[in-house]
Amino acid sequence: MTRTVDWLRRYGALLRAAWLQDLQYRASIVLWLLWGVTEPAVALGIWWAIAADGPVQGYARADFARYFFALMLVNQLTIAWDSWYLDSWIREGELNFRLARPIHPAHEAVAENLAYKARTAGMILVVWLIVAAAWPAVRLPFGAGRWALTAAAVLLAAALRFFISFATGLLAFWTTRATAIMELHAGISLFLSGRLAPLALLPPAVARVAGFLWFPYMLAFPVDLLTGAVHGAALLQGFVGQVVWLAVWVGAYRLAWTRGLRRYGAVGG
Amino acid sequence: MPPIVTAERLSKTFRVKVRDPGLKGALAALVRPRYRDVHAVRDVTFRIEPGEIVAFLGPNGAGKTTTLKMLTGLLYPTTGRVEVAGVVPWTGGRDFKRRIALVLGNRQQLVWDLPPEETFLLNRAIYDIAEAAYGERLAELVDLLELRDVLEKPVRQLSLGERMKCELAAALLHRPPLLFLDEPTLGLDVTAQEAIRGFLTQYRERHGATVLLTSHYMQDVTALASRVLIINRGHLLYDGALDALVARIARIKRIELVLGPGDGVTAETLAAFGTVKSFHFPNAVLEVRRDEAAATSARLLAALPVADLSIEDPPIEDVIRQAFAQGLGADR
Repeated sequence: MTRTVDWLRRYGALLRAAWLQDLQYRASIVLWLLWGVTEPAVALGIWWAIAADGPVQGYARADFARYFFALMLVNQLTIAWDSWYLDSWIREGELNFRLARPIHPAHEAVAENLAYKARTAGMILVVWLIVAAAWPAVRLPFGAGRWALTAAAVLLAAALRFFISFATGLLAFWTTRATAIMELHAGISLFLSGRLAPLALLPPAVARVAGFLWFPYMLAFPVDLLTGAVHGAALLQGFVGQVVWLAVWVGAYRLAWTRGLRRYGAVGG
Repeated sequence: MPPIVTAERLSKTFRVKVRDPGLKGALAALVRPRYRDVHAVRDVTFRIEPGEIVAFLGPNGAGKTTTLKMLTGLLYPTTGRVEVAGVVPWTGGRDFKRRIALVLGNRQQLVWDLPPEETFLLNRAIYDIAEAAYGERLAELVDLLELRDVLEKPVRQLSLGERMKCELAAALLHRPPLLFLDEPTLGLDVTAQEAIRGFLTQYRERHGATVLLTSHYMQDVTALASRVLIINRGHLLYDGALDALVARIARIKRIELVLGPGDGVTAETLAAFGTVKSFHFPNAVLEVRRDEAAATSARLLAALPVADLSIEDPPIEDVIRQAFAQGLGADR
């Protein structure tokens, strides 16, 4: 019990510090938020034009609108920047004092992640509510069960993206190009995680490849769940995929952390 | 009481990639990387008793920081054994980290955009410091370090000296028995350096903490440390009291004279008593053999119109420079 209270207090302090720091960077947060809105908005614009003459593989204009609004929100709720932080911590020696403190540096990363999300996702939600009031197309099918499932899928996706980001960031222990690897990953995920188009619209071969990787579980699955596009067996398959890939990435993170620290201890920062 | 720090035959070797300059060098390094072993610390042995203030002294790249990082568990030794506060630092875990403070002069833990108090609050939670203890310790640190006026300013607006003071406060809130300070006065002006030194002395007197610091400022050492470890190119050259080192290396003493009114005293006159280091009437500095300093002073007082006379050790910088040049065996 006291342990839980201790952790709550620690997280309280970490969140407070992260939140106050965010406040100092209101302008850049707005810029990142704009980027988070612009990308799906541009994608929506393109699909909106394409679907002018009728549905594309079952997706009508309203479906695209709903999809990309859901994507906007889920993306902000699951996004992770940690590889960039870690890369600079490791390369610029800022990891040293963090390692000398009796708390794993990942907790600071989680707190920053949560603080950021609370702010941006909150703003997106407000935008969405305003738009939805005027435009029925982006209103979501409501159902307590579905929303609960979506919440679970979003949580799993957020954890998955956090561990992917953290583990890739740890590559900075070995290479000065960890951020380049992360960029590459982000580039691939643009296509395979559903950021440019619903996965159902991908060429079948590409969709099959994506299905074997972790990308759809980062974003497309919770988005489809939210818009009501997933049913039955696909629902179960989605959750299984999320859990399996989360386990894989947690394993990758642990391996990278222990090996990386050993290497850091051997060669220094 | 057992020593709080034990280092036995400690060595650290880094393997670094060697690369020739230019594109050709870059390509060669890619195809066939070459490595070179850098011996940062070699076969260093020492013990530190609880309550001591010990200074690691040496030029840049001597191995001071590497040693400190091994003692705090950031690096593990290539060979040898370290024990700090009864545990091996590398595997000491959270309990070990609660017992130490690490302050790196060039890397700060203060949150840059927020007032220092926010970092203090963060550390209160991280180190599980009880509310009452926190208030009491913070009040003490604010008082000793004179931080009242800076607590609410964002860290980025503080001067380097104010930042280092806050850095120390943040590192000491959990009242660790063991302090590792890497270049705590680096880049500070004289006033700020003195403030930090004064604080460290007082803090140690009050709480009996053991302090290990690295520095390349002599004043840090003369003001703070009862004992110095001189390290150069990874080797421990000297371990002992500073006075003993001076006595051993410096075979000379300086006699500083202020001559009284009267003429006839020239550099030649003075040369009969010792080596004239400088002479600008009425001031003169002579160097004489250590064992003859007293006798020579007596002769000077008898023979010349002396208004003032003092016998000094040569500047400690000179002594250290000589120690590095000669290479000393560890004094144990």
